[in-house]
Amino acid sequence: MIFLYITNEFSVDSFHQKGKNIYRVMRGYDATKARVPYLSGPYGPALLNDYPKDIKKAVRVMPTQALITLGNNSFNEKNVYAVDPSFFELFSFGLIKGNVSSVLKDPHSIVLTETTAKKYFGSTDPVGKVIEMDKSLQLKVTGVVRDVPSNSHLNFTMVMPITNYTNEEWFTKWRNNNEFVYVELNEGVNPAQLEKQFPTFMDKYMGKDLAQMHAHFDLALTPLKDIYFEESSSFDNVKHGDKKVVYIFLSIAVLILVIACINFMNLATLRAVERSKEVGLRKVLGAMRNSLIGQFIGESVLLTLIACVFAIALLLLIMPWYNGLLGYSLAISWNSPAIYLFLLGVILFVGFLAGSYPAFFLSSFTPIQALKGKLQLGKGGAFFRQALVVVQFSISVFLIISTIMIKKQMSFVKSKDLGYSKEQTIVVPINNGDIYNNRISFKNELMAHSNVESVAMMSGEPGGYYDRHSFEVEGQHETYNARTEFADFEYVKTLGLKIVAGRDFSPKFATDTTGSVLINETAAQQLGFTPAQAVGKWIIDNMRDSNRRHIVGVVKDFNFLSLKENMDALVISPAEDSRVAVIKLKPGNVTAGLNIIKQAYTKAAPAYPMEYTFLDQKFDTTYKADLRQQTILSVFSGLAIFIACLGLFGLASFTAGKRTKEIGVRKVLGSSVQNILILLSGDMLKPVLVATVIAIPLGYYSADKWLQNFAYRTPMHWWVFGLAAIITFGIAIFTVSFQSLKAALANPVKSLRSE
Amino acid sequence: MLSLQHISKYYQTGGNKTFVLNDLSLDIDQGEFVSIMGPSGSGKSTLLNIIGMLDEPTSGYHYFMDQPVHQLKEKQRSALYKQYIGFVFQAYHLIDELTVLENIETPLIYQNIKGAERKALVADMLDRFNIVGKKDLFPAQLSGGQQQLVGIARALIGKPKLLLADEPTGNLNSKQGEEIMELFKKINKEDGVTIIQVTHSEKNAEYGSRIINLLDGRIESTTTL
Repeated sequence: MIFLYITNEFSVDSFHQKGKNIYRVMRGYDATKARVPYLSGPYGPALLNDYPKDIKKAVRVMPTQALITLGNNSFNEKNVYAVDPSFFELFSFGLIKGNVSSVLKDPHSIVLTETTAKKYFGSTDPVGKVIEMDKSLQLKVTGVVRDVPSNSHLNFTMVMPITNYTNEEWFTKWRNNNEFVYVELNEGVNPAQLEKQFPTFMDKYMGKDLAQMHAHFDLALTPLKDIYFEESSSFDNVKHGDKKVVYIFLSIAVLILVIACINFMNLATLRAVERSKEVGLRKVLGAMRNSLIGQFIGESVLLTLIACVFAIALLLLIMPWYNGLLGYSLAISWNSPAIYLFLLGVILFVGFLAGSYPAFFLSSFTPIQALKGKLQLGKGGAFFRQALVVVQFSISVFLIISTIMIKKQMSFVKSKDLGYSKEQTIVVPINNGDIYNNRISFKNELMAHSNVESVAMMSGEPGGYYDRHSFEVEGQHETYNARTEFADFEYVKTLGLKIVAGRDFSPKFATDTTGSVLINETAAQQLGFTPAQAVGKWIIDNMRDSNRRHIVGVVKDFNFLSLKENMDALVISPAEDSRVAVIKLKPGNVTAGLNIIKQAYTKAAPAYPMEYTFLDQKFDTTYKADLRQQTILSVFSGLAIFIACLGLFGLASFTAGKRTKEIGVRKVLGSSVQNILILLSGDMLKPVLVATVIAIPLGYYSADKWLQNFAYRTPMHWWVFGLAAIITFGIAIFTVSFQSLKAALANPVKSLRSE
Repeated sequence: MLSLQHISKYYQTGGNKTFVLNDLSLDIDQGEFVSIMGPSGSGKSTLLNIIGMLDEPTSGYHYFMDQPVHQLKEKQRSALYKQYIGFVFQAYHLIDELTVLENIETPLIYQNIKGAERKALVADMLDRFNIVGKKDLFPAQLSGGQQQLVGIARALIGKPKLLLADEPTGNLNSKQGEEIMELFKKINKEDGVTIIQVTHSEKNAEYGSRIINLLDGRIESTTTL
């Protein structure tokens, strides 16, 4: 299962035939931050024009969303790509219908994926049919493409020619970054050489703009196969994977396999004692040592084979659940040789590993010893077995600690006071023309309602999008970089922020819209002001404003970014960039409030279905990957503990069996059942204790590493480790005591009966 | 000291009862040295186990030190035999993982005797049995006779009133067996410990003061020497 996941992760985008020559152009805007992939319209043709020797093709991909209408039905399609016509020549997505080179030639054409085609046209042939986009564009279906596989970083439901937009004014501006550019380099072109020429390129086209913005952009190329594992900035909504998660998966799988192998070795060795008669007999009958080794390894390989068959059946059974856990569907490619090779490898490796120790051990008995059945497992062997148990439980304790830490951090994140009120708050994206045009009436309609506390239009809700702009500020020689929020006057009120100095925006001051900003405490501090000093200073947004604005107030810091990032400086300007409407309801009936919002939305944008999220659920989406890790880790550490306990159980029953005589003697000598129980359990639990001691520093170290992901961290209390130890011990004691109790309660007369 | 009345022990096999002991009555006084004899399957060991409270009869009355054992609870019985009864086994049943010294000490631990006192008692015992030099050896390093010696030392460390021995010489050669029997006689005479032994050997049986012959779970004959 994990193998599937890992091959999927590593095979991302490997299916493109020209893959090794495809690069995505990345733009850097700040040397300390990850590069972003968004470029503006002119880049692609300009690159192709300026470097004809190096670049064979440049394809622009603009992810967008659109309202698609067919007859009376409208759907909001989220993954529509507007691309250059050679898109399908560059990427091997596999057209079922249509010609790779001509399918997007006509601006009024569109290509659907199989599933999308089925959604709109059922089983009839979609080619030649016309659908309407955003109530304005008539597009004819010219092709059908296979569904995008889960191992592709690009993910779309329909593809249309970008030529529909190339003449728009916003598209021709170098500044409007909204699309990806993929280039195919000619054979033998060194991307590093090409990258060296980019600064001149930027100078030539954007020199003036950049100077005006006091910004510096540079370009770089990322190979296609590296895009998926690229450090994912929040400004890149293609699919990204986390190498760390993949490695965590891999190591958990290996650890579990190790635990299971150890079990098998241990139990097989112990069973050896029971089988010693068989071995002795075989030897007396003339079996050679080699044939015995062969027999045992063969048995073990056979067992692994059977286990594998069961595993595959189980895999098929729980695949839907697993897909749910991963968040996307994995395809099992039964016809690729890799999976069979892998299974064969696992069977042989595990079979040999697990079978080897017992095989060599068993076959080394002298037949007389073996036949007598008085086989003494040597002290060394006992030590070896205990060491194996230590390894098993170290792994288990380690996994438990990790699970607890993740859980703790997650609940810490969940319950942390973020500095804004997130209850009863609904976020409605302003993502189509209708609602955008009618947003003011939409807001007024809502404000008129008694259930609504306040409504604010803003560029990004907490946890959402905060662009970084450069500013000039009074008393600062250098340009100052800060995050920006563009909102209306109800911003502070709607989010329940606290003003620590100055005042909130207010319609009472006529100049507020054009002449005021709020900043947060961090910004004030970075500028070298106390909140009170900051009020009244002027500031210019180099990218948007030409006039000075004045700081009218300072808001208390609130976590507008994910808790993985440190508090950043924020400048809140009352300006137009409405991307979401945040609506705070009065305490009480949320459903009624939601209905009111829906009604108002339908009035404002009748054609579109309303989308909304609750602000307090933002948590789940922001930390999706971490929550997933938590689930996965819990499941697998549970599994690891379970397997380790199976091993311990086996070991306990063996020990109890071996010590029956001793227990009998002790009972006759007056030992009580409790005494025996303590004696036996104590012996069994010693390795668990050692394991705990080993695992705790390891767990501490890796939990610490993981927590570095977060800017706000839960403290690592000692009780976490205590709890992990207690859980392990609890389970181990439970396991061991069952066998011990059985042994302790047995009638001594039976065990002491003279042989 | 010990009184068994109408003791029966049987197993239900199908519709039949297989009697191991059949309505057996027996009294033993303080200071006696009783040898129990009989062919295999005559119920000797079962009788000894019942006397030692390791096994329970199916029916009958059992008094030990004036206490009605058949009415006692498990815990009380355990306390009773822990205090008054010592066991010696044919196969010695020493604990392999413990040294001679620790083996002898074990019963005292279960009687909650303090460490210092335990050490003193064990030292006395080692001295008396002349095995001081072997105190740090493990059972596997001793001969059969020496192991049985340790077994007896262990049985006597708790100062029992009654010593039960199930074929104590069964695994020993005749010379070793003789030495053990002499030791039993001495313990019986000098310490006043009541001894009940099960044996196959006429010769060893004659060390006792009374010989009880069992057959098919009944007392066939009693010989007082």
